[in-house]
Amino acid sequence: MTPPDPLLQVRDLRVNVGERTVLRSVSLDVNAGSLVVLMGANGSGKSTLGLALAGHPAYHVLGGQALLAGQDLLAMPAHERARAGLFLSFQSPPDVPGVKNNLFIRTALNAQRESRGQEPLDAFDFLTSAKQAAKGLGLPEAMLGRPVNAGFSGGERKRNELLQLSLLQPRLALLDEIDSGMDVDGVRAVVEQVARLRAQGTAFIVVSHYLQMIEQLQPDAVLRLDQGCIAESGDVGLARHIAETGFASRTAPVEPLT
Amino acid sequence: MNSSQAERLAARDHLRRQGWIARRSEAFHHLPPPDLAHWLGGPADDAGCDAPPLAGAGWTLHPLGDGGAHGVDARWLDALEPAQRAELLAGLPPPGDGEAAPFAWAHRALCRQGLRLRIAATPGRAAAPVVLELRHQPRQRAEAPLLVIDVDAGVHCVLLETHERSASDCAHPVTQNLHSHIQLGAGARLQHLRVVAPEAQDQIAHHLHATLAPDAHYAQALVATDSAYHLQRGTLQLRGRGARAQHAALLLLQGQQIDHQVHSDLQAPHSASAVESLVLAQGSARAVSNAYTRIAAGADEADVRQRLSGVPLSGQPRLTLRPHLEILHDNVQAAHGATWGALPADALFYARQRGLDEASARALITEGMARAVLERGLEDSELLAQWLASGWLGRRMARQLQGPTGLTS
Repeated sequence: MTPPDPLLQVRDLRVNVGERTVLRSVSLDVNAGSLVVLMGANGSGKSTLGLALAGHPAYHVLGGQALLAGQDLLAMPAHERARAGLFLSFQSPPDVPGVKNNLFIRTALNAQRESRGQEPLDAFDFLTSAKQAAKGLGLPEAMLGRPVNAGFSGGERKRNELLQLSLLQPRLALLDEIDSGMDVDGVRAVVEQVARLRAQGTAFIVVSHYLQMIEQLQPDAVLRLDQGCIAESGDVGLARHIAETGFASRTAPVEPLT
Repeated sequence: MNSSQAERLAARDHLRRQGWIARRSEAFHHLPPPDLAHWLGGPADDAGCDAPPLAGAGWTLHPLGDGGAHGVDARWLDALEPAQRAELLAGLPPPGDGEAAPFAWAHRALCRQGLRLRIAATPGRAAAPVVLELRHQPRQRAEAPLLVIDVDAGVHCVLLETHERSASDCAHPVTQNLHSHIQLGAGARLQHLRVVAPEAQDQIAHHLHATLAPDAHYAQALVATDSAYHLQRGTLQLRGRGARAQHAALLLLQGQQIDHQVHSDLQAPHSASAVESLVLAQGSARAVSNAYTRIAAGADEADVRQRLSGVPLSGQPRLTLRPHLEILHDNVQAAHGATWGALPADALFYARQRGLDEASARALITEGMARAVLERGLEDSELLAQWLASGWLGRRMARQLQGPTGLTS
């Protein structure tokens, strides 16, 4: 029996930010329900990969291919990539002044539902599920009625990303340092949330330097990004080794790993 | 001739001798007002509008909430009748000779009616705010309505003031020179939401004068839309120690003009003022937002904030943002700034990454910015929350984002 195609297939992705080439050549596969950890020194291109896949206008794709469930991500505008099932948890989620969190998420959810031909959720039904999800993540219910991320602490912003992840239920989630700013309960919430969604088939790319969380996430693969290329790939043992020795000892010129 | 007629003629004579707003006027040269003749009306303007008769002198008063109208004394007064005119104008400052004085003289010359409200403490209801709605409908093609509000010491009042009309109210373009005088007693508090949405061809000049006694707090959130001429000018005099004034303006322009001016005068120690405006403009609209704050000598530990911002939504609107500070005392805090730029790119991408198309993301974020300005002006205001929930702003923003209308006169 032929194994199914990977949910995400990235081939020789090259990306410029301004005049600088940040991703020189990245290729990777992620299967449905699997979890890939992406590690790398500062500036190696981890966040660039997520933002480029998500269609940020400042990240200019020079070449390569990215397919999500067979759909050409790079040919789509940013909102269609999201509607196709790509979710990016931002390293620094921005404020959206004056827009209440529950309105923001419900508007997004209904935009995605509409694109799939589903009926929109009414405010009452949405609020019921949002309150339940917020409670599960340890996010005070009052934060649903506050403007998106305005006045939120770092940890609250990350929990709010998790709340959106939980309600939007994407096919592929890219979590960019979701653990930064989180307390131990927050990290536990990440692990539980990821496990629950993986069981439902959501695939993950997790950018993190936090070994304890990486171990708890039970990744299928660990990749090390260096100078815009995948320099090493392995299992959780690679993450342990990097945690012990750091990135500095691995700075030899890198050729793309295919 | 009675004294009322004599005063009206004297005001006209003053204007004839002193002239109208000078073209070089610092406050008005960006958007000069229409000529004096427009503001004085003529025989044809006395005919009135086609609107059905309304109770009162263009103003209707509607108590809201549980507080009802307890403690409210409302008097609709005829400025053409000498005794009532004297009562209407009692205690108000004379027109003077400032930059905007010609408007005040024109008001004295044309004013026919006014509403005088006194809001007093009610025994046993000290903690509950008095919540009122005032609606104004134009009654003549050229008119000069007057509103005087006295809030007694220690009283908390919440007021929604609306100036909206539809074609069924009045089919004619209106020229309206409104003067409002608000006097807050010691420790009094007024939260004031003003919605001014004239018709495209209307010429509107609203002058609001507020005086604050010690520890009084005046907070105003203004929503104004553009028209052939639209001036919103506020003068806030913080006379008492610990007085505080907040003013937040949301100016929505689809192709015409608004001139927004706020003058704050901090005369006492520990007084504080904050002025904020957000201009959302498109097409060939022209907007001026002008904040001028003076901290008088002796106003120790005064605290002043000015934040003026503008976002051109489409087309080539012209925005002029003018923050000014005049500081005559050493020990004060003051900050001001003006920014004109695009919608926040990071928030736009964030919304798009969650699945909103470009137009929906822009609409959501633009309306959010508008709400945020008003919410900063009237903090924790149930009245504002109810007004926002009414959908007025959402409908207006949807029209706004559909594209420009109208022409700059």
